[in-house]
Amino acid sequence: MLLFAGVRTPFCKAGTHLAKLDAVDLGRAAVAALLARTGIDPGEISEVILGCVGQPVDAMNVARVIALRAGVPQHVPAATVHRNCASGMEALTTAAGRLATGHGDLFVAGGVESMSNLPFVFRQSAVEKFGKLHRARSLLTRARVLAAFRPADFTPRAGLLLGLTDPFSGLNMGETAEVLAREFDIGREEQDAFAAESHRRALTQAGALREEIEPIALGGKPVSQDNGPREDSTPEKLSRLRPVFDRKTGSVTAGNSSQITDGSVALLAGSEAAGKRLGLEPIGRLVGWAYTGCDPKRMGLGPVQAIAAANARTKLGIGDADVIEINEAFAAQVLAVLKALRDPEAGRRAGLDSPLGEIPLEKLNRRGGAIALGHPVGATGARLVLTALDQLRTTGGKRALVSLCVGGGQGAALWLERL
Amino acid sequence: MANLSLDTNGSIARIEFDRPNSSANVFDRPALEELDQALSQVEANAALRGLVLSSAKPSIFIAGADLETLADADAVQMRELILLGQRVFNRLADLAVPAVAAIHGACVGGGCELALACDWRVASDDAKTRIGLPETQLGILPAWGGSTRLPKRIGLPAALGIILPGKILRAGAARSVGLVDDVVPRERLVDYAEKLVSRGKRKQRRFPLLHNPLAAALIQSRARRDVLTRTRGLYPAPLKALQVVSRAVTSSREKSLSRELEAVTELAARPETRRLIGLFFLRERARKRKIPGGTPLKISRAAVIGAGVMGSGIAYWLSTKRIEVLLQDIDPAAVARGMASIEKLYAEGRKRKVFDAVSAARGLDRIQTTAEQAPLTSRQLVIEAAVEDLAIKKKIFAGLARRCAPETILATNTSALPVRELAAVIDHPERLVGLHFFNPVHRLDLVEVVRAEQTSAGTLATAVAFVQDIGKLPVVVADRPGFLVNRILVPYLVAAAERFEQGTEPEAIDRAMLDFGMPMGPLRLLDEVGLDVGGHVAHTLAAAFPDRMRVPEILETMTKRGWLGRKTGIGFYRYQNGKAIGPNPDLLALRQGKADADGLAPELTGLMIREAQRCLDEGVAESAEDIDLAMVTGTGFAPFRGGPLRYAQDAKLSSRSFYPD
Repeated sequence: MLLFAGVRTPFCKAGTHLAKLDAVDLGRAAVAALLARTGIDPGEISEVILGCVGQPVDAMNVARVIALRAGVPQHVPAATVHRNCASGMEALTTAAGRLATGHGDLFVAGGVESMSNLPFVFRQSAVEKFGKLHRARSLLTRARVLAAFRPADFTPRAGLLLGLTDPFSGLNMGETAEVLAREFDIGREEQDAFAAESHRRALTQAGALREEIEPIALGGKPVSQDNGPREDSTPEKLSRLRPVFDRKTGSVTAGNSSQITDGSVALLAGSEAAGKRLGLEPIGRLVGWAYTGCDPKRMGLGPVQAIAAANARTKLGIGDADVIEINEAFAAQVLAVLKALRDPEAGRRAGLDSPLGEIPLEKLNRRGGAIALGHPVGATGARLVLTALDQLRTTGGKRALVSLCVGGGQGAALWLERL
Repeated sequence: MANLSLDTNGSIARIEFDRPNSSANVFDRPALEELDQALSQVEANAALRGLVLSSAKPSIFIAGADLETLADADAVQMRELILLGQRVFNRLADLAVPAVAAIHGACVGGGCELALACDWRVASDDAKTRIGLPETQLGILPAWGGSTRLPKRIGLPAALGIILPGKILRAGAARSVGLVDDVVPRERLVDYAEKLVSRGKRKQRRFPLLHNPLAAALIQSRARRDVLTRTRGLYPAPLKALQVVSRAVTSSREKSLSRELEAVTELAARPETRRLIGLFFLRERARKRKIPGGTPLKISRAAVIGAGVMGSGIAYWLSTKRIEVLLQDIDPAAVARGMASIEKLYAEGRKRKVFDAVSAARGLDRIQTTAEQAPLTSRQLVIEAAVEDLAIKKKIFAGLARRCAPETILATNTSALPVRELAAVIDHPERLVGLHFFNPVHRLDLVEVVRAEQTSAGTLATAVAFVQDIGKLPVVVADRPGFLVNRILVPYLVAAAERFEQGTEPEAIDRAMLDFGMPMGPLRLLDEVGLDVGGHVAHTLAAAFPDRMRVPEILETMTKRGWLGRKTGIGFYRYQNGKAIGPNPDLLALRQGKADADGLAPELTGLMIREAQRCLDEGVAESAEDIDLAMVTGTGFAPFRGGPLRYAQDAKLSSRSFYPD
């Protein structure tokens, strides 16, 4: 499958510039910008496929609502896909599958997440009482049910926290990163240095990042930049932050974890024939991909097996990659992956028979990663594809390897090629 | 019966209006007589327990009295027609069985009066359904019982709120004021109407607190004050209607109907009424006009280049008319400001109930912004609305030609620059045309369609049909400096500024023209347009017609000092929160001498009349009708005077005659 274009909204920390836009608004902004920039007749699209993790309660199948609002005509179908942190990548590979099986030849694929707008939910105790109240007929029963409410019933549970907890292992995502830091011996200093480098790269590459972005007009002003990268995120400053997930002995802090962020990405992909028909110049090709499973407690290791599987399918190796993007869910997690890829002993613990090779840091996440730019979970997978393709363009490289760890214990990896 | 059919097969009779060879049902003498006959058959049939009235037309219930008949009627014919209508509608109201109006589509004027004579009214929830009494807009009043029945049905204050401004309501709003009883889906309309028959004859509603002589007098005097501020007493119809409607609530039906008759015959004879009806016909003519030799293409996707006041105003208007718009500006900050102003227009539209929340949100979704030189190959029309600078426009058009399909229509919204100059920089110059919208776009109905020498008949046909499709009025003008409206308006504005320079008080100047019937005085208008924008047009015209046009020094001074009008908070007047709060004292201090406003209105209107004549002679517009329509709809030129040329002929200010009388 060929990729023809991609664009994203700015990525902004939850509760900041884009907080007033819900997932539909964000997705609409990215998809409409993609249609405007490519100038195609949206009626030519075969399907719109978008990843979204926290499905908005007021827009089920958010991809369909986004497509219609972005001016995609109603005869074009739309589906929302979910593979947690790899949902944005899942959208693209789903499109490739549709293309391969003859179910269309031109797709909008991408992802969206408004982490500002993840809902708060009532506790089960309150839900049961609301149900009883609804069914109560007589005034007396109503009064009795009302009297049964306790203040604790009204303390909501944050959807965000629930979403970031793996229900199978019971561990929060940050706690899984702590597991890796311990088991792969990733120190605090190393993590903070990695995090600081992510910010530094995002800041020095701000101009390149702006090429990926279509500004959003809000309140009479354009929002045209990511607001996650910080000048003051130095190793020294980061070292002063307290661990969040293991307060006594841990090393994972808010500073060396990905940020909670709002954003959306849209890619245009399809067959060579579709590109010719619409006069679209391809910017790259999807060579192959793999999704693999792993221990939910060590979900951060996901990329290790996924990269191995993707390499096997495409007959490519780490050395073939000119551009590499591994999502920075946590600095500890990326560093554990790098270690498992190069170090035989660490590799064995991640299930590798032999190491896959060393990933040179200068090729990895050149424009910074989720620690600086943020991780709108449904969108990130598509952002990595967008930035990898744009980096191939600016560096003149040939191939890119893109990978993510996935909450719940999975890995995703995908190879791209510039034409 | 040609205009309607009567079905008495069931226990509920049905009268269905379906005027032959017409998309509309209207009432003329034959239609009223047929209705009279049908009603007599209903009366005679004792087996019937009710009557339902409906229309077979897809978008019109009854559009009212036939205006052609009305316009041609002499005093005696008029009287007879009014009496006939009153008698037939009384017969409907006095039926022994209940009558129900099943309203789908436009139900206005006489159509609304017919519905009011029924016991019950049910409307379809379709957007085409509009109900109201617009008579005062044509200089008359509802005289087939509408002025009598509406206040008795919904109460005096609500009735005045509809009749005095001549309002037409959507189904939902009509239900809220009580003008209709229910709103149902179109497919269920007639079934539901038949159900309403079982409610029986309707009893007269009473409004003891409102409809007593004291309260009615109080309501009347307050409404009179409002009408006078709004119309400056220049329009007799709302004042007459106010008297008739207010007295209706304390009078018998017969007394009130005879007041309606006296009032309408008196109003119909007045020149204001003839001019307003004439304008109505001119609007209809512009709405239906076709360009010979060209087949219009349908525009569903457009782009607007430039997100300033005009660009965003145009993008907003197109988006409300279901056109997908790409709004592009090289400056992302300008894009964001433009979007903010569009959001504000939608918010205002919601407040005025023009949109509900969903349709406003979908309208906004139809606009996509970009600061990129995006491809425009899927757009059928591009409207350039960038700054008024020929060099910049040429650069934009050269780029546009590269980004568009070869058949994309390229339009410029320039207000004075020569359109033909842009032909040189594009391929297929036959697709070039001017589309001159007026500010504010959502309020002013006129669009000047500028035909450059290169413009093909097909392009012109598409441009005219597009303007009609978006609910505006096209007037085709030649590619001459200032086109039509600005060319006529500028000498008037310049003369007003000169009178100011000579020492006449700004309020006195503006008041003189308000009294003439302009919606805004010339100096306030200059402030509104912006001294820079107005000055630019004046310069263009002064360069083209040096013998008679000039730019007064005061405009230069004001532009230099940044006194650009309302947008800078200061111009001829000072502004606070967008409202004029008095003259600009520093500007007053700049001039010497004192002069009064004597003879100001004749002098200023004389300038417009003479320029309008020149435009007609030079072929800037095709007819006197086009010129008059353009001036009324583009500048608000006193509508009851019918436009500058019509006024010149009526007031004998010109030796020529422009209309056959």
